[in-house]
Amino acid sequence: MAEYMMLDGNAAAVQGMAMSRVKVVAAYPITPQSSIAERLSDLVASGELQATYMRVESEHSALSATLGAQLAGVRAGTATSSVGLALMHEICNAASGMRVPIVMPVVNRALASPWSLWCDHQDSMAERDSGWLQLYCQNVQEIYDLTLMAYRLAEHERVLLPAMVCFDGFFLSHSMQKVAVPAQAEVDSFVGPYTPKNVWLDPTDPVFINDLITMEEFTEMKYQMKEGFASAADVFNEVSAEFAERFGRRYCAAEGYMTEDAEAVIVSLGSMSGTVRHVVREMRSRGEKVGALKVTCFRPFPQKEVARLLAGVGRVAVFDRSAGLGAAGGPLFLEVKDALDGKAFVKNYIGGLGGRDVGASTVERVFADLRAAREEDDRAPVWCDVKEHPMQIRQVLRFV
Amino acid sequence: MLKLKFFGLGGQGIVTAAKTLSVAVSLGEDKFAVTVPAYGHERRGAPVYTSIIVDDEPVLLNSFVYDPDIVLVTDVCIADRQIDVGAGIKPDSVLVLNTDSAQIAQHYRDTFGFCRVYYVDGTRIALQCIGRGIPNSAMLGALCHTGIVRIESVEQAVLDTFGGKAGEQNARAAKQAWQNTASL
Repeated sequence: MAEYMMLDGNAAAVQGMAMSRVKVVAAYPITPQSSIAERLSDLVASGELQATYMRVESEHSALSATLGAQLAGVRAGTATSSVGLALMHEICNAASGMRVPIVMPVVNRALASPWSLWCDHQDSMAERDSGWLQLYCQNVQEIYDLTLMAYRLAEHERVLLPAMVCFDGFFLSHSMQKVAVPAQAEVDSFVGPYTPKNVWLDPTDPVFINDLITMEEFTEMKYQMKEGFASAADVFNEVSAEFAERFGRRYCAAEGYMTEDAEAVIVSLGSMSGTVRHVVREMRSRGEKVGALKVTCFRPFPQKEVARLLAGVGRVAVFDRSAGLGAAGGPLFLEVKDALDGKAFVKNYIGGLGGRDVGASTVERVFADLRAAREEDDRAPVWCDVKEHPMQIRQVLRFV
Repeated sequence: MLKLKFFGLGGQGIVTAAKTLSVAVSLGEDKFAVTVPAYGHERRGAPVYTSIIVDDEPVLLNSFVYDPDIVLVTDVCIADRQIDVGAGIKPDSVLVLNTDSAQIAQHYRDTFGFCRVYYVDGTRIALQCIGRGIPNSAMLGALCHTGIVRIESVEQAVLDTFGGKAGEQNARAAKQAWQNTASL
């Protein structure tokens, strides 16, 4: 039987990791992830979590140690944010290439510079091509649930890729919410024990992992990873169906909300997806045909589901919480635009950067702008809620 | 749906108060709550605020509160520090204020346009019950008069949040403040 617990997002991530019985933790604290590192340390110290806690001197070491531990045949855990994730970049690619299915909470925070402690998605978006699965959470319940599901997904023999469970710094990491937590036996039965697959380290049968590989085989090794991502789309649906049967909550890689007869839809990731749904519900009560689409699984990107859910929708706004500098739009926009392949009017909105709130009024303005837009208008991304004289803020370009 | 905003000074425990209220309504009242703390790099004593949204069904909204139904202020000096605690309030919004002065309560009511003010000296009660002037639990007791949560749920949530002796002291502060709250 599930019981309700009051957890903030970080505590929910820890609850999911601990109940999945991680055996080694190597974490380095960073705002707003710190309470994950602290809480895991407390659980190990008190004996509630039977695990080894390794104190490391950086995030590069944290993920290296986690990778080494998991290669030795146990579930290992770490978590990070922002520049911490950036420092892990090298090992992120090593872990995915070595096909080690680490599950890692990423508490989304802006990347410096300018320095910011607060939420946006630039940190995980900078890792979107590093060979990790990426799940984005709307609320604290989803952090717990998707963490459990991530172990099953990542460790599946047809997938064998590490997974980031991404959730918004402060908006979720420090938001206290009521979370249904099943009994340990139910979690054990769903997640199961860790079984090392592919290659692992055994002192009695030493092997060399991650050695130099020539042009004869490198492409094929990457091809195998590509196939892992292709399988992950199906495995996500299988795992999700089993999760729903056991725990009563169903997750979709992409999930529509009142999209069926919608004329205008906002596509989003993370905690703002709840706010978009709230606004859609209010606008529907006034007779306005709007909808929302939440992308839970960003890697692999659910291209077919997005196209299916948005079929017949005339206008689509894609809200990116990262800047997409130098590109035609933010990363979510590029994916959605490609999925729709010219079948709808798609416009990109950039906002919620460095912790700026995406409130109901911002969402309403996006709907208004989307519906007023004309086909012949400039298609450059719209930057939401930008102050009146942005070029005069701190005068970065003093002599322009 | 009820939207709340708590204003206080760093160190007065308003983030804890918001979490405790979330526990009280979620576990004690079968409702749902989302806390949206506005963390900064404030030092102790600097003005801070936090947002809470409470509803009978799961809360979808995840953003700061801009149009509060209930405002709670744990230190009356907030208004002197260019903080507009009345920002976005509606004609029926109420205020819960940490003061024993009817005059100050009236001043807040007139200045910001709250329809009702509940007030109690939470700091004095905290000093008596806890031995430290941290008014958060006491002010949650006063908050019960708005009808958002029952005092029994607050007491239980305070016991759970603080635990042990601190839990009992804080629960006593909540109850005592609840008993001594005046309104105008």
